[in-house]
Amino acid sequence: MHALVQGLILGVLTGGVYALMASGQTLVFGIMKVVNLAQGALVVLGAYLSYQLFVSYGIDPFLAIPVTAVVMFALGVGVHLAVLRPLRREDRAELSLLVTFAVALLIEGVIGVVWNTTRRSINTSYANDSWTVAGYQITVVRFAAFALSAAALGLLILLLHRTRFGRAVRATVQNPESARLLGVRAERVAALGFGLGAATAAAAGSVYGLLYPFNAGSHYDLISLLLSIVVLGGLGSIGGAIAGAMIISVSSAVVASTISPSWAPMTFFVLLLAVLLVRPQGLFGRPA
Amino acid sequence: MLLRIERVVAGYGAGDVLRGIDLDVAEGGVTCLIGPNGAGKSTLLRTVSGLLRPSRGRVLFRGEDLGRRGPRERLLLGIVHVPQERSLFPAMTVRDNLLMGGYLLRDQRLLRERIDRAVAAFPICARRAGAHAGSLSGGEQKQVELARTLLLDPALVLLDEPSIGLDPRSRRQVFESVRQLAGAGRTILLVEQNARSGLAAADTGAVLDGGVVRLVAPAARLLDDPEVARLYLGAGPAEHKAERSRDE
Repeated sequence: MHALVQGLILGVLTGGVYALMASGQTLVFGIMKVVNLAQGALVVLGAYLSYQLFVSYGIDPFLAIPVTAVVMFALGVGVHLAVLRPLRREDRAELSLLVTFAVALLIEGVIGVVWNTTRRSINTSYANDSWTVAGYQITVVRFAAFALSAAALGLLILLLHRTRFGRAVRATVQNPESARLLGVRAERVAALGFGLGAATAAAAGSVYGLLYPFNAGSHYDLISLLLSIVVLGGLGSIGGAIAGAMIISVSSAVVASTISPSWAPMTFFVLLLAVLLVRPQGLFGRPA
Repeated sequence: MLLRIERVVAGYGAGDVLRGIDLDVAEGGVTCLIGPNGAGKSTLLRTVSGLLRPSRGRVLFRGEDLGRRGPRERLLLGIVHVPQERSLFPAMTVRDNLLMGGYLLRDQRLLRERIDRAVAAFPICARRAGAHAGSLSGGEQKQVELARTLLLDPALVLLDEPSIGLDPRSRRQVFESVRQLAGAGRTILLVEQNARSGLAAADTGAVLDGGVVRLVAPAARLLDDPEVARLYLGAGPAEHKAERSRDE
């Protein structure tokens, strides 16, 4: 029982971080119908930027987020303008897979040149601190990562639901032609949406760098995880990304703590297959 | 003349759907476009709203050539297009859908005034303000779509098949709303599959066939024209009366 509850705690805390990582992925798909295979690489790049600010200037990774988010937002807008916007609208969904994978490889190459391929980790003074609550261990870093992810997701949801830009994003996701007929500049929304996706990757990267060691190739593991989450939750839905992240994270953590860690990765793929058999559009996705 | 369409040729890919359209729409009132499927009625509306660029010809609004202006610029000039497909955002509330209608309005006070006016004209928007648009019936959705057109106080409203898929009662409501919009001084260019109902709500009718305008006349005269009835209105006047009484 103790192992189960400990697994649940770990799963929920990690699920929040996964949800933040996946929110950018699902946002970009919702707006542009583009599966962004570079999202994992953007998270890793965010981790490296955070790492550099920490080792060079001693800036805590949590405090570095406003800086890295702005830089990555600009990078995301730039990537959209440079490589996605020139694609013909009708070819964009298919070609974007190749183009965003190329962007991921480019980011991996740049990271390899700048920071080489050695694994890095961000070792803050509180990296090994933990609390014991009712007999259960909660590491400070993981709790802070969860709290930050929840706050960032809250801000993202507020932005989408309480601002004119957010309404334009949601309108474009739901009915792009109708949004255009009401005066929304679809290409501008797409560029800003891609930038926003990259900014969430910056925040997620800071948190990821605190929790796990990383190197230039870490994005391969991340992208398969992110795609599983957004497919499970339903492509294009932020709520779906949160639910998908929690399901995958909690099930993996519970199985790891109660049965065996080696079964954990298989658990979420089995869950993913089971959900897709019943709801091919994912938990919160709309049928095509 | 509010809208003048001169020798417009337009289409999708290699094929032209509009093959030299000439049409004048005077300010005020309802003009109904009728014609068989594939005649180019919806394509003409898309060309006027800027969703589709003509390969030849001109679209003039208040004497000004709209040229390469996109939907946003035409919206700012006062041209609103309600497409045939459901155009609301289903996972957004009715209120948010109305706010999207005023997306181009930066003046918040004016936006609130316009919303109040739209809600007064279409009370369903107040009753279902917090409901997701996707949860509304087809007729209710159409009422919200029409209310949304009022947010920019347009001069010209392009309505594509507003009664499609609606039950008879909702259809009647939609045509009443169309007359209401026109009564407020707006010009309506209406495409309607149910040609008799469309003409009955219109002041002027235009027959499109094969991508060109065949005939423009007062709507009442088109309704009484046996040749037009035979070719474009399906049932004759007697059958139509029977159909209308069934609807009622």
